[in-house]
Amino acid sequence: MTNRRDELAAVPDVIGTDSDEDFSAFATSRWPGLVRLAFGLTGDRWLAEDMAQTALARAYVAWRRVSRADDPDAYLRRILVNASHRRFRRRRVAEQPGDPPDTPIDGPADLVNERTALLAALRQLPPRQREVIVLRYWVDLTDAQIADTLGCSPGTVRSQLSRALAKLRDNPVLAEGDDA
Amino acid sequence: MTATEERQLRRALHGTLQSVSPPPVPFEAITRRGKVIRLRRAGAAAGALALAGIVALTSLALRASQPPTVPPAAPAMTAGPDGVFASGTADGHPWRLAVQNIAGPGYRCLPAIVLNGTDADPVYPAPGNAASVALDQAVRGVAFAFIQLPASVGGVIVNGDQHVPAVIVNACGYRYHLVGFSYSLAGPLRVTLAKPYPGWPSDVFVPTLTTPGGSTQAEGLWLNTYTYTAPGVTASATLASGTLPGGPGWIIKLQFGPGGDCYEFAQNSPAGAQMGYCGPVSTPAGPETIMALPLGFGEPGAGAIGYAFQVSPGTARVKAVLDNGSSVLPTPRIVDGRKYVAFVVPSPRSLHRLIWLDAAGRVMASTTAVPRYGYTQFQP
Repeated sequence: MTNRRDELAAVPDVIGTDSDEDFSAFATSRWPGLVRLAFGLTGDRWLAEDMAQTALARAYVAWRRVSRADDPDAYLRRILVNASHRRFRRRRVAEQPGDPPDTPIDGPADLVNERTALLAALRQLPPRQREVIVLRYWVDLTDAQIADTLGCSPGTVRSQLSRALAKLRDNPVLAEGDDA
Repeated sequence: MTATEERQLRRALHGTLQSVSPPPVPFEAITRRGKVIRLRRAGAAAGALALAGIVALTSLALRASQPPTVPPAAPAMTAGPDGVFASGTADGHPWRLAVQNIAGPGYRCLPAIVLNGTDADPVYPAPGNAASVALDQAVRGVAFAFIQLPASVGGVIVNGDQHVPAVIVNACGYRYHLVGFSYSLAGPLRVTLAKPYPGWPSDVFVPTLTTPGGSTQAEGLWLNTYTYTAPGVTASATLASGTLPGGPGWIIKLQFGPGGDCYEFAQNSPAGAQMGYCGPVSTPAGPETIMALPLGFGEPGAGAIGYAFQVSPGTARVKAVLDNGSSVLPTPRIVDGRKYVAFVVPSPRSLHRLIWLDAAGRVMASTTAVPRYGYTQFQP
């Protein structure tokens, strides 16, 4: 039987044995962060792992270029965000934000509820606003770096950020708890 | 937004995303995808050249050739919106197999094959999967099976004379070709492809259950084949962890996949060991499988007992009332769009009652029929 697996086995290694070890180390170190970033962008664990795989697979194909880049992480982030855009185009109708819990959030036992509420609030943002929030407050990028990742101007980043923060202001996650 | 609010947002976002525990980096899948990307690019380049040739030759071809003949499409039934692809009556009991989304509202669609709306089996991404299940408590002596077929195979023949056509089921954005049937546990089962398919033997292997009363397969738990395309685990996560009186830590983990909802209970002590067990996968509206296992080994009743189960999407909290009147309030954890609860009852206390609460704190259901070891199913 000639199946997809056999077909792929016949394709030579994309980057060669020597580079394999470099890529392996690179992928290992970036994988957790990529999954978490993708999860922040999508709120979907499965999809996050899928997108992280896609980003690393593309980095694998272009490894010579990626490994020589000044900032390989920026390359990965761009792939991830682009994958997220394609996903939104495909699944726009299917996506439904979850309901935040009705009960107030207090105490460490309610961390899960707090996180659920935050994810629900993020899902209610338009994709671009969600991206700027995650890239700013999770990845800690500057306006210019976010603009480079999203392919827009720093001014657009600032306006999107401002709108997103205004929408999140009423969220109980931001309204309660300490900030120590 | 103030600086304080921004700090709060940053803290909450870090807490949320750091709580995600990614699995080990899947090198094989990544490199395979890389090769697929390379193949596609090569194919696209070849396709562009081929297209140019086709355009150049089109006028000549139109003059010289007959109208193209299109092979007739194989007739196939398509399941309705309820996803039912097989149904019938066995020993006087109606049954139906359907593909249903078993994730909670607002989460990624998670297709699974369900028998009479319960006991789900996650659908594989590719053909080749076959599985059996028995519900001895409802229908004795009968098992139910499904097979995921390639699109070009129109169906199967069961035991030489029963032709079962494939049904197309569209679910969660995917298209599956499925056959489903019931069979007697008293006799042999032979399933043959209705049409040969390259690489497949004519006899399809369906994992069969043993005779009535002799089955080692758990009630409601599908017995699957594992093909190369099948992931062994669909999702895994730590459901809960803590510390027992006296110091040892405990942890309850979940592995959800074609093997069912598999829980691992472990106690972190020098003598601690792990206990693992799989139970039927609950559906959003179906009975909930409540699992109970001792944390580590020991005499029954001598150690702590861990409990874990999946709850319906509407369940906001679960209250576990112990025999002395005290209670535990575990918060559900969402794994892959499905809500789970896990907690531990330390010795000498025992679990007396489980109460399901909605977001407003209203009681949705309660039961005192909780297992001491193994699992039981409860319909809230």
